[in-house]
Amino acid sequence: MGRTVGIDLGTTYSLIAYLDQAAGRPGCIPGPLGDTLCPSVVSVDADGSIVVGEAARSRLLTQPARTIYSVKRLMGRGVADVQSELKIFPFRIDAGSQNVIRVRLGEKVFTPPEISSFILKELKSWAERFFRESVDRAVITVPAYFNDAQRQATKDAGRLAGLEVLRLVNEPTAAALAYGLHEQRRGRVAVYDFGGGTFDISILKLISTGEGDIYQVLATNGDTHLGGDDLDNQLLAMARNEIRIRHGLDLEQHPETVQELRKALIAAKHELSFAERAAVLMPLPDGSTYVREFSRAEFEGMVQPILDRTMGPVQMALADAGLKAADIDEVVLVGGSTRVPLVRRMVEQFFRRRPHAELNPDEVVALGAAIQADILESGVKNMLLLDVTPLSLGIETMGGVVAKIIPRNSTIPASAQEMFTTGVDNQTGIDIHVLQGERELAADCRSLARFQLRVPPGPAGLARVEVKFLIDASGILQVSARDLKSSQEQSVEVQPSYGLTDAEIEHMLEESIENAERDFNVRQVIEARVEAEAILRATEKSLSELAAASGGPAGSPELPAEERHAVDAAITALRSAMAGDDYTLIRARVDELNKATMPLAERMMNRVLSSALSGKRVSDI
Amino acid sequence: MNSEGTSAAKIADSTICWSCGVPSGSGHFCEACGKIQPLARETNHFAFLGLPRKLTIDPEALERRFHQLSWKLHPDNFTRASECEREMALARSSQLNDAFRALRDPVSRVEYLLSSAGMRREGQHKQQAPPELLEEVFELNESLDELREGRPSDGGAARNSEETAAVRRKLEAARLNFEDRLGQVDGELERLFSKWDKTLAAGGVTPGAGDEQKKLMARMNETLNRRSYIRNLVASVQKELEEA
Repeated sequence: MGRTVGIDLGTTYSLIAYLDQAAGRPGCIPGPLGDTLCPSVVSVDADGSIVVGEAARSRLLTQPARTIYSVKRLMGRGVADVQSELKIFPFRIDAGSQNVIRVRLGEKVFTPPEISSFILKELKSWAERFFRESVDRAVITVPAYFNDAQRQATKDAGRLAGLEVLRLVNEPTAAALAYGLHEQRRGRVAVYDFGGGTFDISILKLISTGEGDIYQVLATNGDTHLGGDDLDNQLLAMARNEIRIRHGLDLEQHPETVQELRKALIAAKHELSFAERAAVLMPLPDGSTYVREFSRAEFEGMVQPILDRTMGPVQMALADAGLKAADIDEVVLVGGSTRVPLVRRMVEQFFRRRPHAELNPDEVVALGAAIQADILESGVKNMLLLDVTPLSLGIETMGGVVAKIIPRNSTIPASAQEMFTTGVDNQTGIDIHVLQGERELAADCRSLARFQLRVPPGPAGLARVEVKFLIDASGILQVSARDLKSSQEQSVEVQPSYGLTDAEIEHMLEESIENAERDFNVRQVIEARVEAEAILRATEKSLSELAAASGGPAGSPELPAEERHAVDAAITALRSAMAGDDYTLIRARVDELNKATMPLAERMMNRVLSSALSGKRVSDI
Repeated sequence: MNSEGTSAAKIADSTICWSCGVPSGSGHFCEACGKIQPLARETNHFAFLGLPRKLTIDPEALERRFHQLSWKLHPDNFTRASECEREMALARSSQLNDAFRALRDPVSRVEYLLSSAGMRREGQHKQQAPPELLEEVFELNESLDELREGRPSDGGAARNSEETAAVRRKLEAARLNFEDRLGQVDGELERLFSKWDKTLAAGGVTPGAGDEQKKLMARMNETLNRRSYIRNLVASVQKELEEA
């Protein structure tokens, strides 16, 4: 069995972490470039191969139509839900999309869970490189305020990436775990988590018991479409408007320039976290340059209305926990957007308490996920997490009214049983519509699923079917039904309102196995070519050095003609193999060249030794 | 729900353990082999927590009990167990959370007691004004109408601010009055709680304890209806005052 890891699948960045058993603390795993942050950007090549992370991010500028960022905003949502986002995000939604969005990237279309699975696969490969063993199980974090469909989509992404998702953990709760382990905190803690695309507030109680520490979430609230992205979009809208007015230029037709501009504005936003002023210089397609300087005060004035939107959820969460701001003992800041000084001031003013930000706000969620992964892997030892469901679960009743059966902020797992019967004679099915949300009418809540209970024909009101709704520890709904007349369990075919069916996921998995073979081949060819190029460069360097040293062309006493011929022939053979896609052939030709250059290498070595003996420096050769 | 109004329920009679095959006892885990046991479908929240059906509960003791059982039953403990044990843990830990949620608040506690005994149905009788409140409710509704009429947005002529202020004062007074009533009802509930707990202690020995309990449940049900009616009044006055 492979390793278990914790993954923060973020809107802007994703991270993978593990618990270092020897050190007794969690750590983030770096990628090949040495960075622990993997940009949540995916790009698809013309040949169908997938590029993720930093490499994909640079393609936002060069190949915007093949590249996507912030896909988390689309998870578990239908086309109707994302209309407002489409105005500001360059998502290319496929025309056939309904309740599961399909995004066009180049020639192909993908669902958001598939795109997220590419990010997860990339992170998985980082960890496998790091451990030198397979990684097949994970704890993945989600915004606390994610609904059932968004959670299910995240779990699907894990499955598509070849990971068994042991648990979905709420991001602020994961952060609290990481902080608790770090500082041994007690009392009531508010976690203010303002990330790239989502905002969460969670109120926790940390309790020491004889068995260990319990992290009990009292209440959570948030906005799954409020984050640093919104600050960026605010700046971008302002800049585009100024460019329209000052330069008479509409950037609608210049998506590359829009991405460049966005990048420059984000850099300015970051700079304003520690500098008082920042400037943007942007060459425009018409040859002119957009020049703009911001003061921190101006920036703060621009984003204040967005930041104000976080305070409503904070007050709701406190009210649900039955607490006032003054009852909170500790405040913890999580998420890259809490680096904005105005955010820190607002939080400090509200709680009248200096917030904690000792741990890296980008890494803390992944670190917490790694701790929870270890708890699940090695059994509960001295820490227990009791989380809650963020939204009330209800069923539609007469007149489209919702009857709430599991209230929001219930500790999970949570369940409710409801009895159903028939309304007319000889009715053979009872339709059930499950919803999530706080509103009174079904139309205003989030539809989760529909299913039909089967009943034997008979007089109205005689049937008795008991349905059990259960929200598991990941916050995902399970439904089971039992006919009380026959005491028979009834299998329930739940049709998700938003999201993929099991059959669709199976199909995608089969496809990805086929693709995996192709991806594997592509990777092998690339690696073989890289290896071949390295040996070609080294050989050519040695040849020219030897030729220079012996003062003559090939065939000098330093390198006999037959050896030189053998080397040249091997080089030609390798070059022709490299033109093709057969990586075994490339490897074979590399081996042959290695063999042919062996005498050459020996001569080089001898020269080095003799020149050293004659008092010459090696570098002079 | 079936009625079991006469004696404190046990979790379930001792059954045979699915794992080791000997009688498992009536707890969450087999007394012989320690394996988690399946949950009977109609488990009572009080019995699940190992509590008598008393209505007066020390909240801190209840929370400690909740935490103790959470350590043992939470699905985190069972990620490496067999699938059927994982399902049992899921069923038991969700029941634990449901039980704690229902019993920690005194009002939801008595509501649960009554509905599990078949003495209370959700949504019934709530709309009837308690007779002793009829006059006050009538007056309140008049004031509320006056306040609504006073709003310029309703198309009616804007009243002068003095009149509006007078109506507001009346409503504030009414709110205080009803909040006071709510306090009285809560006090009444508390008294009924201790009466109930006494009959429970006497249950099984005193003849007629069962009838006494039924009578008490009927009174508690009626008190709850009154409470919910008054609470709705307070909430609607609050809302009107905020909007005005």
